[in-house]
Amino acid sequence: MAEKAIEAKKKGQKKSSEDYTYVGMVFHRLTRHKLAMVGAFMLIFILLFVFAGPLIWRADPNAQIEGLGGMFNLPSRAHPMGTDDYGRDVLARMFFGGRISLFIGFISAISSTIVGAMVGLVAGYYGGWADNILMRFTDAMLSIPTFPLLIALASVLGKGVWQIILVIVFFGWMVDARLVRGLVLSLKEQEYVEAAHAIGASANRIMWRHLFPNTLAVLIVSTTIGIGGAIIYEASISFLGFGVQAPFASWGNMLQNAQQFIWNSPRLIIFPGLAIFLTVLGFNFFGDGLRDAIDPKLKL
Amino acid sequence: MDNREVLVDIKNLRTFFYTEDGVVPAVDGIDLTIHRGEVLGLVGESGCGKSVTALSILRLIPNPPGKIIGGEIFFHGEDLLKKNEEAMRMIRGDKISMIFQEPMTSLNPVYTIGNQISEAITLHQKIDDAEAKKRTIEMLHLVGIPEPERRFNQYPHEMSGGMRQRVMIAMALSSNPELLISDEATTALDVTIQAQILDLMRGLQKKLGMAILIITHNLAVVAEMAETIAIAYAGKIVESATAKEIFKSPRHPYTYGLLQSIPKFTERKTNEPLPAIEGMVPSPYHMPKGCRFNPRCPFATEKCREEEPEILELTPGHLVRCFHPIES
Amino acid sequence: MRDYIIRRVLGMIPLILIVMIVSFGIFSLVPNPFAALIENPRIKKSDIQRLIKAWGFDLPWYLRFFKWFSGVVHGDWGPSLLYPGSTARDVISRALPVTVRVMGIEFLFALSIALPIGIISAVKQYSVTDYIVTVISFLGMSMPTFWFGLLMMMLFSVVLKRPSGMPLLPPGGIITPGLEEAPFWAKLGDRAQYLVMPVFVLAFSSVGGWARYMRSSMLEVIRQDYIRTARAKGAPEHTVINKHALRNAMIPIVTLVALSMPGIVGGAAITEHIFNIPGMGSLIIAAEIKSDYPTAMIGLLLTSILVIVFNLVADIVYAWIDPRIKYS
Repeated sequence: MAEKAIEAKKKGQKKSSEDYTYVGMVFHRLTRHKLAMVGAFMLIFILLFVFAGPLIWRADPNAQIEGLGGMFNLPSRAHPMGTDDYGRDVLARMFFGGRISLFIGFISAISSTIVGAMVGLVAGYYGGWADNILMRFTDAMLSIPTFPLLIALASVLGKGVWQIILVIVFFGWMVDARLVRGLVLSLKEQEYVEAAHAIGASANRIMWRHLFPNTLAVLIVSTTIGIGGAIIYEASISFLGFGVQAPFASWGNMLQNAQQFIWNSPRLIIFPGLAIFLTVLGFNFFGDGLRDAIDPKLKL
Repeated sequence: MDNREVLVDIKNLRTFFYTEDGVVPAVDGIDLTIHRGEVLGLVGESGCGKSVTALSILRLIPNPPGKIIGGEIFFHGEDLLKKNEEAMRMIRGDKISMIFQEPMTSLNPVYTIGNQISEAITLHQKIDDAEAKKRTIEMLHLVGIPEPERRFNQYPHEMSGGMRQRVMIAMALSSNPELLISDEATTALDVTIQAQILDLMRGLQKKLGMAILIITHNLAVVAEMAETIAIAYAGKIVESATAKEIFKSPRHPYTYGLLQSIPKFTERKTNEPLPAIEGMVPSPYHMPKGCRFNPRCPFATEKCREEEPEILELTPGHLVRCFHPIES
Repeated sequence: MRDYIIRRVLGMIPLILIVMIVSFGIFSLVPNPFAALIENPRIKKSDIQRLIKAWGFDLPWYLRFFKWFSGVVHGDWGPSLLYPGSTARDVISRALPVTVRVMGIEFLFALSIALPIGIISAVKQYSVTDYIVTVISFLGMSMPTFWFGLLMMMLFSVVLKRPSGMPLLPPGGIITPGLEEAPFWAKLGDRAQYLVMPVFVLAFSSVGGWARYMRSSMLEVIRQDYIRTARAKGAPEHTVINKHALRNAMIPIVTLVALSMPGIVGGAAITEHIFNIPGMGSLIIAAEIKSDYPTAMIGLLLTSILVIVFNLVADIVYAWIDPRIKYS
């Protein structure tokens, strides 16, 4: 194989699909996928904005300008995105708010995936009544409408960052559980599992060493797209007043605050919302491309 | 020489696939002639272009990524490649029919088989539904399906593989086509069923008189069924002759190798390894220069590595594409 | 089929039970739901005591659950703390039809757009139409509904005005005050202008997800062997797509649409809140914000039941479309 690749290079031919490793192939397909690359750029831009921004534009997101003159300023050199109803610099708040929103999104998505995967693995592998009970529970949770449940949990648990993460995870693990369970059910029948069993591997070992790695690809895609969803959830919860509390900014609570000023200061609504929208869009584009790259024929 | 009318005459067909990883010359200059009522076997390993040839005749090549980029396919003297889609539609299922390899997935799971066969009939004949149903049941009977009236309302998943393939045959023959193309139709069936289906096809051929193009990688299948055999390799025809001649005196090294590698009860001594052709089918992205078989050919010379051989007619009716055909 | 339905209905029961337990469980986490009332000087201490007793807060949690459970089942849903003077039941029965109406319209609207564009997108894969549809789908899926709602409000109520100076579309509510007793058609027209924005906002996100699924389901189906068989039979392309492909592609869509229900019912909540629509969603949110936990619990329970029932309907439709489902 390697010689062919070297030969091909010598003749100036393109490498064909036979010459790559698995990860190499995925990467190769991913970089060719237009939307995925657009998504990747969007994400890189946003990450830079949020993390590197404050290094360039140093302003305190919580510093309030005294007096009426400081409120609702239009974008100017002093305040590129203007100021809000407390006279705070909007651009700075966007940076820090973004960090919190992204942090929450990322942690929630990964946690739900882990929880969901564990449930799915156990349910799929053991089958029988364990499967039945777990799946009934999952189905019931899936029947409860998203929103009201989120708010319910949020209102009960109290306000704050870790509470939101808990809420989102509590509500988000089901999707991954179902996904993993389905995959495990089909993988279970495959011969290498029988072989492992035959040489005396324990259930735990089979689950973790053989089944789990094969679900990784699917889980990675699910997590990527999940981050987008988690960000929207966080924004929604904060929007209703339950999530991240003042004076800390998150893109969601910036929107909540701005809601009342729709008539006179629409800019306060546009910026944070746009940020959320573009971030989620980026994750969705990228996640979708990732899914296509991992297996173009896989229907998730 | 064959006195029958020429039904299908394929001249220098080239069908290429344009993929992300490169261009695949699946069919690269194939010539084939099928006469009225003739049973022609097209034999070759996976990837040699035989299925693509069949799909090209009916112009069912998915585009993208495939495209018929050259050659002519004459049917009753008219070039099919120049016809428009509407004209082709009238030929498909009516004058030329095709059956496929996987009976499990080749039938639509959400409609009854009766519905699907009747559809084939009403697409081409102006008869009403009741008449079509009658004819469908006749066809089911013809292909040997018991209780055809009951089966009419059954779904594909309620039938076995062999039965589904019979249904496919019924569908294909329902308008009495002049040519039936069988693309590995028995490959996915188990051996006893395979024998039954081949018997059925043979019987139907005698009765209805259509020509059959049998595509397979299994020499045993063509030994039973075909009058003429064409051997394909890497997108080209390398040898073509009557079945008798191919088996008795193969002239192309590839054909010879294929025949040698068939396990035989009688001739071989039991502790000798089974002779297999060395090497592997070339990757479509990296076709070898010169004769495409040269990397695996025990008789290859420098000329074979540099130039591609043309087709020669060694004896009447026996065509070979080789610089050094084996002596008969 | 009947047995299947009965079995599925019975299967709903454990689900509903679990939902009740979960709803109850969540709200039990709050130590004293009546804390807010105690603050209010106008409410007598004895009344509060009465409420505590009525709601069973003087009992340990497991007994409380049964008390609540039996109350719910008997139709006694307790007093509304949000609207003192009405029972929770009255409040809810006013809100429920509003939600059902908005959701119903949005659902039909989204479905009737998503499916055709998904199909066209699949049939013309990689064309400009496909890219446009794909991008729109992503926009729909990524757009936070509340932001979109706010943007629409800004555009249609603040920026765009009618000649009279009034906003082009009303920013909230469901009916112009005073028109409650108007004749049917006048009411209809009036109602419509209130519904335009919320329905559009909700539908935009549904359309995104559904169109993409329809597209991928269709693409998956078009690749199947039986589609090739249909073409080989000579079926015209529109028959191939509308008869053969469509029915198969719809099967997973039914499940998907059913699974979207919790999202719709829930997403409707925030949209209702923004647009001031007095439906279940905004009721639950208002109840949660104002700590009217009893109402919130029932609201959660009812909307969940709505979703479960919808799933049941979807399962039945699924079994009806796909003959392969065995009712075992």
